[in-house]
Amino acid sequence: MHKGYLCLVLHGHLPYVRHPEHEDFLEEDWLYEAITETYVPLIRVFERLVNDGVDFRLTMTLSPTLISMLSDGLLQERYLKHINRLIELANKEKERTRWQPQFEALSAMYLDEFLSARDTFLRYGRNLTGAFKKFQDLGKLEIITCGATHGYLPLMDVCKESVSAQIKVAVSHYQSVFGRKPRGIWLPECGYYPGHDKILKEAGLSYFFTDSHGTLHGKPRPKYGVFAPVYCKGTGVACFSRDLESSKQVWSSIEGYPGDYNYREFYRDIGFDLEYDYIKPYIHPDGIRINTGIKYYRITGTGNHKEPYVSRWAREKAADHAGNFMFNRQRQAEYLYELLGKKPIIVSPYDAELFGHWWYEGPMWLEFLIRKIAFDQDEIKLTTAPQYLSENPRNQVITPSMSSWGWKGYSEMWLQGSNDWIYRHLHNASDRMTELAKAYPGAEGLTRRALNQALRELLLAQSSDWAFILGTGTHTEYAIRRTKDHLLNFNRLYEGVKGNSIDQNWLSGIEYKDNIFPDIDYKAHQ
Amino acid sequence: MDFPFFIAKKAEGNMAKIARVKAKADSKMKLRKSTPKAKEVSRFKKPRPAKVTPVPKEKKDDLSKQEVTIGAVKFSHAKSMLMQDSFQRELPSGYGRDTMVLAVRDPWWLYTYWEVKDSTWNKFKAELRGEFSKAKRVLRVYDVSNVAFNGFNANKFFDIEVREDALSWYIDIAVPGRSWCVDLGLLLPDGRFITILRSNIVETPFDGPSWITDEEWMIPDEMFMRLYGMGFGLGKTSPAGGVWRKGAVSSPGIASMASPVRKQPSRSFWLEVNCELIVYGATEPDAKVTVQDKPISLRRDGTFTLRFALPDGTQVIPVKAVSKDGMDKRKITPIVIRETK
Repeated sequence: MHKGYLCLVLHGHLPYVRHPEHEDFLEEDWLYEAITETYVPLIRVFERLVNDGVDFRLTMTLSPTLISMLSDGLLQERYLKHINRLIELANKEKERTRWQPQFEALSAMYLDEFLSARDTFLRYGRNLTGAFKKFQDLGKLEIITCGATHGYLPLMDVCKESVSAQIKVAVSHYQSVFGRKPRGIWLPECGYYPGHDKILKEAGLSYFFTDSHGTLHGKPRPKYGVFAPVYCKGTGVACFSRDLESSKQVWSSIEGYPGDYNYREFYRDIGFDLEYDYIKPYIHPDGIRINTGIKYYRITGTGNHKEPYVSRWAREKAADHAGNFMFNRQRQAEYLYELLGKKPIIVSPYDAELFGHWWYEGPMWLEFLIRKIAFDQDEIKLTTAPQYLSENPRNQVITPSMSSWGWKGYSEMWLQGSNDWIYRHLHNASDRMTELAKAYPGAEGLTRRALNQALRELLLAQSSDWAFILGTGTHTEYAIRRTKDHLLNFNRLYEGVKGNSIDQNWLSGIEYKDNIFPDIDYKAHQ
Repeated sequence: MDFPFFIAKKAEGNMAKIARVKAKADSKMKLRKSTPKAKEVSRFKKPRPAKVTPVPKEKKDDLSKQEVTIGAVKFSHAKSMLMQDSFQRELPSGYGRDTMVLAVRDPWWLYTYWEVKDSTWNKFKAELRGEFSKAKRVLRVYDVSNVAFNGFNANKFFDIEVREDALSWYIDIAVPGRSWCVDLGLLLPDGRFITILRSNIVETPFDGPSWITDEEWMIPDEMFMRLYGMGFGLGKTSPAGGVWRKGAVSSPGIASMASPVRKQPSRSFWLEVNCELIVYGATEPDAKVTVQDKPISLRRDGTFTLRFALPDGTQVIPVKAVSKDGMDKRKITPIVIRETK
């Protein structure tokens, strides 16, 4: 008998990285790797499920920046070049490893994967957004939106106009891509600040997610803990909360699946392992060794010694782990059903890039899990937030608590000694943007272009990714540069508009470079 | 399991003490030169007054690793490429405005930054004359929970002395779930306080569940406690982590993830040696060539190069070439033995 719901959420996001001014730009690889290792494998999983008639419900964020990059002609062209080079490398590897059958089999596996990635990429007309849209239109996937550039909203609260712009720009971008309004949102970094639900409501969004303490520390006390959504007081926007038990099972340092010795070792890549002259054409043009994506070893154990990866063992493990995850959810649902006297919803959100990029077997695990849930049991049912709400419309009203899913659960990841300097500049730019939107309500021509670009620059500067990278303290140059460049561009635009001295050539240059959100309307910032 | 639900209340009495500890730490700061360093001190001295629920903390440290790890591998790169053409332009140090912003970092800490225009300072200098130089620069932190704050009706307040060149500060407020406002001001020797800037008002979150319950959605305390623990993944609602798991899916790997970010294990000294073999040659450009019976393609000039990882053992490598018309054949067979000692 059906005892409860499972709501799997994959959060897909990358910051907007696109540098037409450089032939090769290392940070663009973030996207190319994500396409090959995460997004294509997920699409392939969905395709197989649909072809085999397996019913499923999955929620997925596609952040507006990610969608914009997936839809960008220049990046598509560059991805094709990137994947073609990987295919060439995999072919060479197949030849090179001829006398080592274990490695030869693995290079063949990668060659297959790369060919399949290219094939999938081309089948959807180079724009993978279309693939996700297809599964949404089939009713399998619930695609939710995110902040326009993944700005961390709790630290933007002092400039509500910016919070509003992050949401409104995201919603209208979503609409232009998917042909309908989004119903829900993944707040960037799961960062909720009381009152922001009002802005969500104004934008037509009906639900969002918080981390567990967002609900558990809300007032009044939530009767069903995290196992039922709540409605925000005053707005009625539904808030679903993460269940940490299921998160832990996948992620915990003690119990988490991805650390299994049979799974693929992320840190042994031929980009670092192979002879320099041979690998040089496939690493950074400056000769810096980087990951190629071809990795031949399994985790093996805690030491340095690594054994070759055996696909069959890893696959069996992924099936075991999927079974284990399902079994635990069945027991969890049964237990909660008894305790609560109603069917619980178990919300399990993960970073999409956990699947495939970091945890190589993740997409496989997901596929096993979905198939098992469909065929091997009837205690738990996959669901999405809107589906749950239509079946369970009566829920408690509370005010959720400020929270995020970041380090320590609040804002410290994005507000610490290494990154706090950005906020005085960001907030000042927000105030100036509000001032401009007020002062030039009906701008036309060049002024309008400058105002729209000003909002683009502000949004790009607000990406939480920059503060995050600064917070981790490694490879911070790029994040610093991006923060400063967008803010400097913004300030110059502000001066230009105010002083009626817009430099048209320069404006055209940054419009070409920072080309996100072509249909943006600066009036969203109010 | 025991969850201290009402910590927030117990902690309030400690307020005055906190302020004193703060003052002490601040006087030490005078030796420090730059403000960011000063902030560090303020951040790390942490006189945490009441025991806070350890539960959410531990789970956070554990689970938020997902984000950190994904971030680390998502944004991984050998060395960030500098954008050479964007010359190193710098942001202004200020924007010439009077502003003070207060933000919530977490239930126990606030962050504030400010900017005061020169003309504003000059105005106060002119008004206060000699007193100005004797005044201390102070952050006055008001607890404005449940009041419409007008500057005089705070529940309580405490002062933090800050250096003249400080432009931001982390404030340890010690009591979660309250509303706060901060003034930057001058504290005169006679005890008068003059406000220069006032911040926005913020409300900090609770670090535990609310004691407010909902009549319509009542729940017995004991049951809520159970749910509360479960929300943080501490419940035994499923056998995960229990004996069952070890038996049914014995995956030795699970224990290996001491930390999800598995850096290359630290090693003292190491050496790795591998061998590869290059087989190369040339023939007529239109000939057909096989190596170990597998056809290979020639360069336009008839040369070829093959590269193999060379394991220990003997490799017999017959290279055969057949002319385009099939009339001429040549065969050369290198034999390579690799041995590792």
